[in-house]
Amino acid sequence: MKVLVQGVGAVGARVARYLVANDDVTDVLIGDSSPRLRTSVAASLGSRAQAIDTADDPAGAIAAAGADVEVAVLATPAHYQPELARQLLAAGRHVVTTADSIPAVRSLLDLDAEAKERGLALVVGATFGPGLSCVLARHAASLFDSVDEIHVAHHGTGGPSCARQHHAALRGRGLDWRDLAWTRRPPGSGRELSFFPDPIGGADCYRAALPDALLLVPAFPGVSRVTARQAATRRDRLTAGLPMLRRPHPEGRIGGLRVEVRGRRSQLHDTVVLGAIDRPAVAAATVAGLAARWVGAGKVEPGARGLAASVDALPFLHDLSEAGVRAAVFEGAAESM
Amino acid sequence: MALLRRALAAVSIAGLIAIVLRLRSGGGTPPQSGGWRELRGPDLR
Repeated sequence: MKVLVQGVGAVGARVARYLVANDDVTDVLIGDSSPRLRTSVAASLGSRAQAIDTADDPAGAIAAAGADVEVAVLATPAHYQPELARQLLAAGRHVVTTADSIPAVRSLLDLDAEAKERGLALVVGATFGPGLSCVLARHAASLFDSVDEIHVAHHGTGGPSCARQHHAALRGRGLDWRDLAWTRRPPGSGRELSFFPDPIGGADCYRAALPDALLLVPAFPGVSRVTARQAATRRDRLTAGLPMLRRPHPEGRIGGLRVEVRGRRSQLHDTVVLGAIDRPAVAAATVAGLAARWVGAGKVEPGARGLAASVDALPFLHDLSEAGVRAAVFEGAAESM
Repeated sequence: MALLRRALAAVSIAGLIAIVLRLRSGGGTPPQSGGWRELRGPDLR
């Protein structure tokens, strides 16, 4: 299987490294707007990686290079991904995206009809959050007869693009699914103290412009409430309305996810809380790389969906665990969390 | 002039209150029992 990785920042470079380390991937093409970056990343990954000048037309560049690419992983800033995905679908390639903004995710989901018509998979938001959060929600939901509510909380950021998106999300209106309808909520509202796996522990989380509900609602028909919150410090909230006051860090610290699913099993209401901690860029790259391998292996149905509707959660979590990205379950007094 | 001063004072006080409300934190109770357990082999089959 040949894979194109478009964009080799903090996440994309690790996606390429993950793919090269797996035997089912024979070649990895590296595309990036920076010739120096794509060349140096390809050189660091050995003979199975090759830099390619994709410019604004990755599908054309693939065709010009005569490369038989099956799957493309888009790890560019989110706002470039819908147009790149559209071009790659038109060229007959499966696509895995790492988009984490509401407009980009919405535009990518709008390509569902085109992807289905072409018999191609378009995996939307295959990162740490969203992405792993969707898989955790799917796994938790499998423990219920019916799911009523899903609540997701994010902590931390990956590379510079992720940090910029985190900053922008804190000044954008949140998108919640409540009583079977979409509602927009003010950014920074809805403070909730969420407890992530150790060593993160408790953190105040707030509504923000996060795309999780867009990906989860179609995957869980009948769910009445889906919310997403993001951990933020006082400084994050005070400066959310300003441009970023300093350059984002090249790599974030440890980040976390917390997914709470409420539903019914055996006629009783119950709650399951799953979580994960990792360096967000590392975990996001593993999720995107594994999704690309699953797409290449024909394990993902055609269409544009998030991971909650694309993969079988347990085998996916098992493969992630083997790659070092591990989930956790909270056992005990979930109601008091 | 007095009206302008009063308006400025009102806007300043409202701004200060908004900042305090936006930045206040705390609340919530940590879990009193239980804890996180990593999902391992048997959990993932």
